[in-house]
Amino acid sequence: MRGLLPFLAQRLFRALIALWLVSTVVFVVMRLSGDPVPLLLPPDAPISEMERVRRELGLDRPLPVQYAVFLRNTLKLDFGRSLHFRQPAFSVVSGYIPATLELGLTAFFLAALVAVPVGLLSAMKRNTLLDHAAMGFALMGQAAPTFFLGILFILLLSLKLDLFPTSGRGSWSNLVLPALTLGAFTMASIARLTRSAVLEVLRADYIRTARAKGLGEALVVAKHTFRNAAIPILTITALQFGTLLGGAVVTETVFSWPGIGRLAVQSIYNRDYPVVQCTVFLAAVMFIVINFIVDLLYGFLDPRARVG
Amino acid sequence: MELTRRELLKSAAALTAAGTLSQALPGSSQAQTTQKKDLVVAQGGDISKLDPHFSTSSNDIRWSFNIFDNLTSRHPDGKLYPGLALESKLQSQTVWTFKLRQGVKFHNGDPFTSADAKFSIERTYDPNAKTMVATVFTTIDKIEAPDPYSLIIHTKKPDPLLPARLAFYGGQIVPKKYLESVGNDAFNARPVGTGPTRFVSWVKDDRLTLEANPDYWGGKPDFDKLIVRSIPETAPRVAALLKGEVDVITQLPPDQEDRVTANASTRVEGALYAGLYVLAVNSKRPPLDNPLVKQALSLAIDRELIVKELWKGRGVVPSGPIAKGDNFFDPKLPPLAYNPKEARERLKKAGYKGEEVFIETTVAYVSQDKAMSEAIAAMWKDVGVNVKVEVIEYSVRAQKNREKSFKGVFWSDPTSTLGDPDGMMWRLLGPGGPQDYWRESKFDELGAAARFSVDEKFRAEAYAQMTKVFLENFPWLPIIQPYEDYGLQKYVEFTPNPNQQFEIRRFNFKFRRA
Repeated sequence: MRGLLPFLAQRLFRALIALWLVSTVVFVVMRLSGDPVPLLLPPDAPISEMERVRRELGLDRPLPVQYAVFLRNTLKLDFGRSLHFRQPAFSVVSGYIPATLELGLTAFFLAALVAVPVGLLSAMKRNTLLDHAAMGFALMGQAAPTFFLGILFILLLSLKLDLFPTSGRGSWSNLVLPALTLGAFTMASIARLTRSAVLEVLRADYIRTARAKGLGEALVVAKHTFRNAAIPILTITALQFGTLLGGAVVTETVFSWPGIGRLAVQSIYNRDYPVVQCTVFLAAVMFIVINFIVDLLYGFLDPRARVG
Repeated sequence: MELTRRELLKSAAALTAAGTLSQALPGSSQAQTTQKKDLVVAQGGDISKLDPHFSTSSNDIRWSFNIFDNLTSRHPDGKLYPGLALESKLQSQTVWTFKLRQGVKFHNGDPFTSADAKFSIERTYDPNAKTMVATVFTTIDKIEAPDPYSLIIHTKKPDPLLPARLAFYGGQIVPKKYLESVGNDAFNARPVGTGPTRFVSWVKDDRLTLEANPDYWGGKPDFDKLIVRSIPETAPRVAALLKGEVDVITQLPPDQEDRVTANASTRVEGALYAGLYVLAVNSKRPPLDNPLVKQALSLAIDRELIVKELWKGRGVVPSGPIAKGDNFFDPKLPPLAYNPKEARERLKKAGYKGEEVFIETTVAYVSQDKAMSEAIAAMWKDVGVNVKVEVIEYSVRAQKNREKSFKGVFWSDPTSTLGDPDGMMWRLLGPGGPQDYWRESKFDELGAAARFSVDEKFRAEAYAQMTKVFLENFPWLPIIQPYEDYGLQKYVEFTPNPNQQFEIRRFNFKFRRA
């Protein structure tokens, strides 16, 4: 693997730029959008009391100064103290990460494990009833808003059929509905993409050659089709993980799942700057790491990418 | 999606028969009694802090009022009862003495004494403690603890409402020794009080677990464990109740009540909110600086219709600035009138020439605010007011509130923290108060005098006069005094508290046993 070091260095550099941009945007947007102090105090707190709290939290300093402090501390992974919880933001946010990973990974694997075979099968049995049914479902999965889907699952699968608990985190049965809800969009996207990627490959000359030389259909699919279709599938699957982090915001709120998505919503409402900044930063890190892993995987799947 | 009662019963019966109930409660879905030992409550928001002096959010104080006790205690009937203080006496105009309960222990075994009471109240306004309730006890001059079971509080001026102040937020008594030894952060993470429930564990945004304090001076509450869950969305919260996963839910909106009532095993219980939902008026902005215009706006609102249609009858039409249930509420005063014809005439008399009147509404800052804004805008248009509705976000509202930069009228839900007009209209509308947009010397003189008078007859007369001035000037347009509703399993006996405390002491909460 020639050139791995420069490749890594370049990647790392880009990642740092991305993190800096993300943090800066969040810093600016949060401060433009409202003031946390009135939300912390009783509604009748006098102005003097608000000023005292602003001073205490360092919110009275000029924005450029606050920004410089913020950048310096972020380098040390110090995101400041949560205004709302009165604890270091990093320790607040990291407490929520396991729940989000549990939900996100379950949704992700559930989606991938169902969607790839379905997409493959749809392509192989193109224009049959099975293909139409599968793609119909996929279309619905992509079109239905997460919020709607979540409530529908609760009313139908939990309240009416009594198969799963309505909300909260606990045993595996608590995980099913939120994972389905969160995974629906991803599942649908992967299935549709797998189908079209496989169809694309099936039209290629080397497939015709493979068939012409008398290979069985199973071998054609396993050895020639799927391996070649895998790269776009992998790309989109990895990118979908970012969608999952975004979807977690809604899903975790609907199912009162104690993860960083719900924490983010709540912290935005509370204008809890340090927690929002820390959450977005960590989410960005996760996204960048996953993309990086995918880049490495390309190399294994496609020898051309190793030198490219 | 609406599930009918019949469908629900059918599916419940079918599933019970099939034996597939995964989360079955003891007994059937029809159970009106229970053998349960654990009480599970779901509220609409997350808990942020358990240290009672660092939060006034209802999602926090519901529980801190049950971990801690106050010196005085306001029961669901709206009256003050002894808490950790057995007796309070007005010794002279500015001196209150309190006789404290003996033999009370904190959850860690430390005895409760006057030193804890003195420490707790002083902590609220100690600049070094940096609490969020620093303004609750501004009337206090100094506190003495002459012996372990006596407390003397000197006020700067006569303060008739000191016992009422002690009953609400800021007044929770914390253990001096324990708090000083572990520090604020550790105390917030593992609070210790004298209340009916003891802290067990807290997983943020998921659940808070408390257990019954077997040695509670008011008797052990009727459960072993109390589990508090946060379910922010209404639909899943109601679903959790209907399915029997939780015993009580808070913040039940009126449009969901039919589902709870229609279900065989659940019911609705409400308390008239200790306060009002009002459109507060920036009376400095023309045309709202003209009292005649404000009178016309009030007359143009069909409050009966709002209560009936938007609130499904779960509220009452206010008669003025004093909430029903408060001191000096006058039951003889008629509800605020609806008279569009008279409204048009007063607008004409005021010389109103179509100037814009803004409603800056939030969405769900107070329940139904946006829907009520739209209804009221339509009613105002009907009498010829040029009304504009603008939607603002919660924290923007907070900022405008701080800067006093509202363009017209805006939603507010003044809570009567003391069960008295002083803690509501005077606290908010008084000079320098957060909603000080209008001044009238007679109103101001009476308000100031009533605040510092211990003569109840004088105060009654003062508030009656202030109500009259209010109804000519409408610094608020009171709209509704709503019910705050809870969904309960039928085997739960519980009377909600009007001021959002969640009272689960012996006198107020019971499981119905077979």
